[in-house]
Amino acid sequence: MRRYTLGLGGREFVIDVQELAADRFEVVVGGESYEVTLSGDEDLPEATITPGYAAPGEGATPPAQAAAAHAGASAVGAAGASQPRVARAAAAPAAAMVRPKPASGGAVGAVLSAPMPGVIIEVHVKPGDRLERGQPVAVLDAMKMHNVIGAPRAGTVAEVCIAPGQAVGHGDALVRFAQD
Amino acid sequence: MPDADTLGLLLQGVAHVTPQSLVMIAVAFVLLYLGIARDYEPLLLVPIGAGCMLANLPLSPLVADDGMLRVLYDMGIRNELFPLLIFIGIGALTDFGPLLENPRLVLLGAAGQFGIFVTLLLALALGFSRPEAASIGIIGAIDGPTSIYVSGLLAPHLLGPITVAAYSYMSLVPIILPPIMRLLTSKQERLIRMPYSQRKISRRTRILFPIVVTVLVGTLVPFATPLIGMLMLGNLMKESGAVERLTRASANEIANAVTLFLGLAIGSTMVGTEFLKTSTLAILVLGIFAFALDGVAGVLFAKVLNAASGGRVNPLIGAAGISAFPMAARVVQKVAQEEDFENFLLMHAMGANAAGQVASVVAGGVLLALMGAGGR
Repeated sequence: MRRYTLGLGGREFVIDVQELAADRFEVVVGGESYEVTLSGDEDLPEATITPGYAAPGEGATPPAQAAAAHAGASAVGAAGASQPRVARAAAAPAAAMVRPKPASGGAVGAVLSAPMPGVIIEVHVKPGDRLERGQPVAVLDAMKMHNVIGAPRAGTVAEVCIAPGQAVGHGDALVRFAQD
Repeated sequence: MPDADTLGLLLQGVAHVTPQSLVMIAVAFVLLYLGIARDYEPLLLVPIGAGCMLANLPLSPLVADDGMLRVLYDMGIRNELFPLLIFIGIGALTDFGPLLENPRLVLLGAAGQFGIFVTLLLALALGFSRPEAASIGIIGAIDGPTSIYVSGLLAPHLLGPITVAAYSYMSLVPIILPPIMRLLTSKQERLIRMPYSQRKISRRTRILFPIVVTVLVGTLVPFATPLIGMLMLGNLMKESGAVERLTRASANEIANAVTLFLGLAIGSTMVGTEFLKTSTLAILVLGIFAFALDGVAGVLFAKVLNAASGGRVNPLIGAAGISAFPMAARVVQKVAQEEDFENFLLMHAMGANAAGQVASVVAGGVLLALMGAGGR
């Protein structure tokens, strides 16, 4: 979990970003929780802040957009950078999708997604299984190497989205966890 | 009662057994054992072991003037044909996609060749001649065909030990690299995650890459043209998808047949009088030194990249900057995953590994240029 405190147009925002999977983040802004999907993270050294971006003080930006911007920043942060880089982050949100996190109660929680493209060789879990963190979920053949994909957290499997022999792309959902 | 002459003729074989040939047959057994029982590069060590055994049997007709092993040697080793044919197959199997997605990794491939040049200097200091030292250094490319190509041109008399060293060390990648990687990195560094960048490489880029590299490297390092040309020809056939049958043949049938011929012919150079010298031992030791040093240089350079990028490069991938595609990259992935099962460096390591493959070929060409060899 990373906490960013940013001043925008004289107001201060506290944004908490929790990494759920390599490309999924839970972002909490002003008490509202959002699930954010990161679908791009590129170096654009010449980029300026997104054109048309107005500070919330001017009343144009919904919190969701700010959240998306900082999901981009958190991807940088997760990779080890010490500070959020607003120019970088602002370049990303056009590609990021934001939807409010569904309310609790039987809904789908965290998702385990494919860390790289490849072909699923084995699937070790079925819906309803109770997993420990690190427990093998599937075997992914990437570049002819068999990679064991472990559960990112403890939880109950809600849905298995893959079958042996299936080709997956980077970020494709493998297993959805039940919300607990 | 047969007379002494008849007996002599009948027992010619026994009479010509020499202590050296017995030792070499024992060496052949070791190679066969490593290949068959221990699964170390069996595709090479079994033919090499067999060639070595056959060449060292007393009066072996196989290495006489028109003997099969001699014919194979003349046909494909002396003129460098076999390693080049193998390279077409390697090119057809190599995926440069991860490298194209992250071109910075080229630097790691360059760093991974450091051991070659240090070992060259060391071999010179130990009294090897310049061409010999260069041939020993090239073991540090950890690339069998490149080693055979370079030493075949510069020091054919060392071909046996150099080839055996290059191929055995290739199979030792999973044993030699991990301790080096762990020693030179902190746990924190090994935990650095590198999210897979999802840049799509267009088919046009993939097709242009082998052509551009061939022209560029061929112009800059003419002595590397045969190796890089064949490597990239294989890759061009693969990426274009236009000649699938040729791609398959290069990667399978041709590579398999040539591997057999190559192994037998290399094994046949390992005859007692040539092989049983202290220089062979020195070559084996220097070779492993070159290999280890490549790994060290790769990891250290990746640490520099990590510092320069603000902590976004896991230094482990530097170890994949050697050749030995794709084994080195897999080892990197394994070591990273031991620390953090959610860390997938494989694609980045593959990129560094593909860069190492190209860089080792270039290094071979540079060595040949420095020694003023090749051309003909």
